[in-house]
Amino acid sequence: MSTDVVPASQAARTARAPRTRSTRHRARAATPWLFASPAIAFFTAFLIIPIGYALYLSFRGYRVSGGAFGRREETFVGLENYATALSDPEFVAGLGRSLIYGAIAVPSVLGLALLFALLLDHPRVPGRSFARTAIFLPYAVPGVIASLLWGFLYLPSTSPVSYVARELGGSSVDFFGYPALYFALANIALWSGVGFNMIIIYTSLRSVPTEIYEAARIDGASERQIALRIKIPLVTPALVLTGLFSVIGTLQLYSEPATLRPMSNTISSTWVPLMKIYQEAFMNDNLGGAAAASVVLALGILALSLLLLRFFQRRTFGGAA
Amino acid sequence: MLGAETPSAGARRPRRRRAALAGALALVPALALAACSSSDDDAASDGPVTLEFWTYSLKGTDPEAQAIVDRYHELNPDVTVKLSEVGGTAETSSKLLAADRADTVPDVVQVEYRALPSLVVSGVVKDITDDVADVRDGVEDNIWDLTTFDGQVYGVPQDIGPMMLTYRADLFAQYGVAVPTTWEEYAAAAEAIHTQDPSVYIASFSPTQFEFFASVAAQAGGEWWSNDGDAWSVGIGDEPSLETADYWQDLVERDLVTVEPLLTPEWNAKVNDGKILSWAAAAWAPSVLYSVAPNTAGLWEAAPLPQWTRGDASVPFLGGSTYLVPEKSEHAEEAAAFAAWLSATDEGSTSLLSLDLLPGGTAGREATLTAEPPMLMPQQTDFWQVVDQVVADTTIPVTWGPNVNVAQSAFGDALNEAALNGGSFRDVFTATQETIAADLEKSGFTVAD
Repeated sequence: MSTDVVPASQAARTARAPRTRSTRHRARAATPWLFASPAIAFFTAFLIIPIGYALYLSFRGYRVSGGAFGRREETFVGLENYATALSDPEFVAGLGRSLIYGAIAVPSVLGLALLFALLLDHPRVPGRSFARTAIFLPYAVPGVIASLLWGFLYLPSTSPVSYVARELGGSSVDFFGYPALYFALANIALWSGVGFNMIIIYTSLRSVPTEIYEAARIDGASERQIALRIKIPLVTPALVLTGLFSVIGTLQLYSEPATLRPMSNTISSTWVPLMKIYQEAFMNDNLGGAAAASVVLALGILALSLLLLRFFQRRTFGGAA
Repeated sequence: MLGAETPSAGARRPRRRRAALAGALALVPALALAACSSSDDDAASDGPVTLEFWTYSLKGTDPEAQAIVDRYHELNPDVTVKLSEVGGTAETSSKLLAADRADTVPDVVQVEYRALPSLVVSGVVKDITDDVADVRDGVEDNIWDLTTFDGQVYGVPQDIGPMMLTYRADLFAQYGVAVPTTWEEYAAAAEAIHTQDPSVYIASFSPTQFEFFASVAAQAGGEWWSNDGDAWSVGIGDEPSLETADYWQDLVERDLVTVEPLLTPEWNAKVNDGKILSWAAAAWAPSVLYSVAPNTAGLWEAAPLPQWTRGDASVPFLGGSTYLVPEKSEHAEEAAAFAAWLSATDEGSTSLLSLDLLPGGTAGREATLTAEPPMLMPQQTDFWQVVDQVVADTTIPVTWGPNVNVAQSAFGDALNEAALNGGSFRDVFTATQETIAADLEKSGFTVAD
């Protein structure tokens, strides 16, 4: 998205460039690097080097020499870790589970966020700032705490839903069974994710010039028509952005299932890819395997993001650019 | 978290972890030099030393625990012990591995016995055979077995877990059920209880309790890991173990036990409500139960674990923990001396009693015989006598392999799946056997057939 902006501003700068003298020009060429150097240094130290190190680790493994209590040494194992990660049925199954979860969570979170944003943007809505804060507030609750909280609301003995169901003569609701578990997890995401996405969409709505609405009203459009025909098309870029974040979030699902795992039988220790990676790295002491799986997951997310962006870019921004 | 957390915390979490790791590992060369320069004899002659002690039994906020380390400081004015709690066995093990690679190890570390072999083959644990030679008499041989591999001692035993059945005496009486002495009677009792009230179960079946299944399989004659010094043998799929698998499958299929994890809010509520009536575990179970159901104190009793063969009382230990000294500890000598004092001397092991655990040291263990019963069962005055008998019957040594963690998660996940979807428990056992053997071979061990 930003790629459209950069060439334009550069073009403006290069247009001004011939007017400066060549000696000052050279000093000036160094200036941006000087200003950028702290960022570059931090970027290298905290992103490039760790990523490089993870890549290096992904080709290493611990192997034992000696007898039954021989010592483990780190050695080069070639592509073995990658072969294990890609052929591991649990890793692939975990990806599948995150996608099912995503298929439920992403549309519902974005749908509700858009609905709330449109409602808040309605000219005659009472208690707007209160509602906005109330919807946004759950986002401030850390994921682990939200999961614990919901865990208590799901467990039959502590769940008010199950209590009411039992009082009415039914039986406890099994929130941790299949397929209810996917909805139970998506519900946590919904609870904490709607507010954040709503704010992004709402902000984007507020930046739409009001003349457009006035014009529509003069043309006889109802509020509903304005919402469907004008507002939604205009906030599509914000929807694409939040959608992309949500899809990435889906593949990086970790804290909710990991927090709920001790409470249920249905969440295995390798339920989603990140849980599998955590298990390998910190329980099985297989840093190499975890690094290889992380690289695979990161490349997968990158590929999926590029694919989605390209698809939506053509549809949303294609005509305009 | 969906969307919301993604761009901020969610996306960066794995990277940050990697960054921390890289940072930690970047320090290795620099610190390795520092570590090399301080040899053992240096450390011994150095003045005052501070031992960093990673433990979850001695909590820094607990005055009883502080009193123990203060007492040690009084006896050894040059040694100060600093307590830090880094989590349970799983967390402690992984942190110790990371600390070892970063050359910033603590001096004494508490882990459960089952985690010790994997740390030994990772080269993290110091062989302290010579350091503890003086206090060998302070601990019984069947307890030293827990920390001795290939004739070398890698830890001193803090506490032990003789296997017991802790049960609601009042409700057993109410349902007209006698305390089961064999697993056959246990199944009959489970049936009697559940038939009278379908909402009540004798116990929960928690597939993630790997060590429990391993221990009752050992009780039946199974040997999940064994070695002859060079090669490992894996026996999870052997006949005695498979028979225990059949036994559990039968209980689960007849719905005589409820399939659910332990110590969840759900489980705790059921224990409080008298919907789960017993817990087959070890002598440490009463203190755990008391922490989740203090209002039921006085209603419980403990008995030896049911037997597979009537009259055969031999059992292995379940749980319990040991102190190890990391290979790279700069004060290894002082650390081993402190660990030996706390676990194996009369004064040390007796002082552990104040922490509400069953010491591995003989003096501490014998002192329990005159101690009050646990708070969960103040009326069972012979509690410690029963425990003492079980310790004497604990004659089955269990060897834990170097890849217990791999086995634990593979086994727990597969058994959960089978228990919920009606799969064969036998298949879970044999599949875990294959997973463990394959993992051992991949790591470079020799696996005997």
